[in-house]
Amino acid sequence: MGNFLKTAENPLDYVEIKTDGTSHISIKEPRLCKEQCENKPCTYYCPTRVFYWDGDTQNIQVIYARCVECGACPYGCPHGNIDWHFPAGGYGVLYRHG
Amino acid sequence: MGNDRYDAIVVGAGPAGSAAAMTMAKNNMSVLLIERGEYAGAKNVFGGSVYRQPIEILIPAFWEEAPLERPVVSDELWLMDNDSAVKIGFTGLKFAKPPYNKFTAIRAKFDRWLADKAVKAGTRLITNTLVKDLLYEKTGIFDRKVSGVILESGDRIYSDIVILAEGVSGNLVEKAGLREKITPDDLTLYVKEILELPSGKVEERFNLEKNEGASIGMVGYPSSGAIGKGAIFTNKDSLSIMVGAYLNQIIDKGLNPHLLLKRLKQHPMVKRLIEGAKTVEFQAHTIPKGGYEQIPQLSAPGVMVTGDAAIMISGRRGTDLAMLTGMFAGEIAAQAKAAQDFSGEMLASYDRKVKNSFFMKDIAAGKGAKKYYELHPDADFLLSKAANDAAYDYFTVDLLSFNIKLEKIMGELKNMQPLPKTASDLYHGYLHWGVF
Ligand SMILES: Cc1cc2nc3c(=O)[nH]c(=O)nc-3n(C[C@H](O)[C@H](O)[C@H](O)COP(=O)(O)OP(=O)(O)OC[C@H]3O[C@@H](n4cnc5c(N)ncnc54)[C@H](O)[C@@H]3O)c2cc1C
Ligand code: SF4
Ligand code: SF4
Repeated sequence: MGNFLKTAENPLDYVEIKTDGTSHISIKEPRLCKEQCENKPCTYYCPTRVFYWDGDTQNIQVIYARCVECGACPYGCPHGNIDWHFPAGGYGVLYRHG
Repeated sequence: MGNDRYDAIVVGAGPAGSAAAMTMAKNNMSVLLIERGEYAGAKNVFGGSVYRQPIEILIPAFWEEAPLERPVVSDELWLMDNDSAVKIGFTGLKFAKPPYNKFTAIRAKFDRWLADKAVKAGTRLITNTLVKDLLYEKTGIFDRKVSGVILESGDRIYSDIVILAEGVSGNLVEKAGLREKITPDDLTLYVKEILELPSGKVEERFNLEKNEGASIGMVGYPSSGAIGKGAIFTNKDSLSIMVGAYLNQIIDKGLNPHLLLKRLKQHPMVKRLIEGAKTVEFQAHTIPKGGYEQIPQLSAPGVMVTGDAAIMISGRRGTDLAMLTGMFAGEIAAQAKAAQDFSGEMLASYDRKVKNSFFMKDIAAGKGAKKYYELHPDADFLLSKAANDAAYDYFTVDLLSFNIKLEKIMGELKNMQPLPKTASDLYHGYLHWGVF
């Protein structure tokens, strides 16, 4: 499948997310991503691509401000390596048409 | 925080939480309803439609006041292939009139309205507030009872009863030790777009009159080989289009949900329905599909679990089951208050009430589906393919006699996979596709 970060249409153009400057998502053990996770499913199951593999640093990068709290994390990571919490009350995704 | 003690605290102002709060407030209990979103519904996503009969139990003739989109008169299931679809459907115009059957809705409006009903009944609602954990008091050497909640600010609020209505995440249910860890095969992940389209166009394209709505469920093509579904619902002047699949299959097959939706929107039979419609919102949400085996312990001393947090999902029914379980929990809470007994034995009557309900029988009947699809993740895809190939043969006007033609179709069906497997896929499809 293609990479929508590189296509013109971006789902984040159509959703309101209020961020408070603190990430509610982190990777517990970055080495595990590099050494034990071949397919890196977090980089594709996440509907808004919060996670991407950074070839330079050899790490998964997390852009928490893209998260729409769909609920797939933390269950999607086969190694249980994603530390995911709700954003603070009143922050995060704000749907008008759910 | 002013009053820091209530008869009951409800976590989450979705349909389950608001129904519970409203029921208790009507029974003269002091109730605090806590929601992490800016307003009730700000975090919530569904297809979808709400069903008249179950909701009417809680709020008679709700359709006269609730913010609803269209009463649904037409339901179709499409078994889809690349450029064709076998359509199964029903249109019943009786459903356009009171008391109706079901309505399309927008959760940001519906949930807000329902929370407001709870407030009007006497509930205190606070939004923008995340509940971090439960509070406990000791009731014996080994026994404890839930006695309130801790907010992210560190504030503690006390109550005789806490009702958990936190939705699919079930964080607090897990923390309270009431449910086991869930896995990706217990969840389906859906993405959805709201597409703005003038009401006249909605009616023209879906063959509807002014106050009529339609829903289309789609299997086969939309989930690209994973077990999942696509759907379109007509709102007043927009369409809801969505697609999703089991999370473990999304992971195994390397699918990105947003790209699945983009692909569905480009299907030639979908494209003509949404042509010119403008995307106004993108959404994503999971559904707890774990079924019967995953249902948590529904109560413990001082606490009850409702709605998605309790895995109350049967086919596409979820909002109504959330409201019913919320109402049940509220009723038991009122009885507990009257008896001043918040023990495990007292609250276990909530478990019994849920377990004896009609929907629990459905949830139990759906038991085999998850296992079946684990063994045959391609069942929907093969079935849709077979149905479309057979239909192409059947509807092609050719030069064969009818009997020869039927023999040919049967031969092709058998070639694809053994007939008993097709029958079995169809049976499990029937169980799994459910109502829309
Ligand atoms: C794509 C999709 C399509 C669906 N289609 C349909 C359909 O057509 N018909 C139907 O009947 N059902 C449908 N459902 C299912 C239905 O949406 C759910 O079953 C229903 O929303 C469950 O209600 P709930 O109140 O249990 O949880 P939710 O609606 O999820 O509400 C939970 C609330 O709790 C809040 N919350 C959570 N944790 C905390 C905390 N710690 N502190 C404070 N607040 C908290 C959340 O912000 C949220 O407002 C669909 C679901 C999805 C995802
Ligand atoms: S799926 Fe988990 S282990 Fe794999 S790369 Fe992502 S976070 Fe790391
Ligand atoms: S919760 Fe959903 S949107 Fe947020 S990071 Fe995980 S997969 Fe992405």
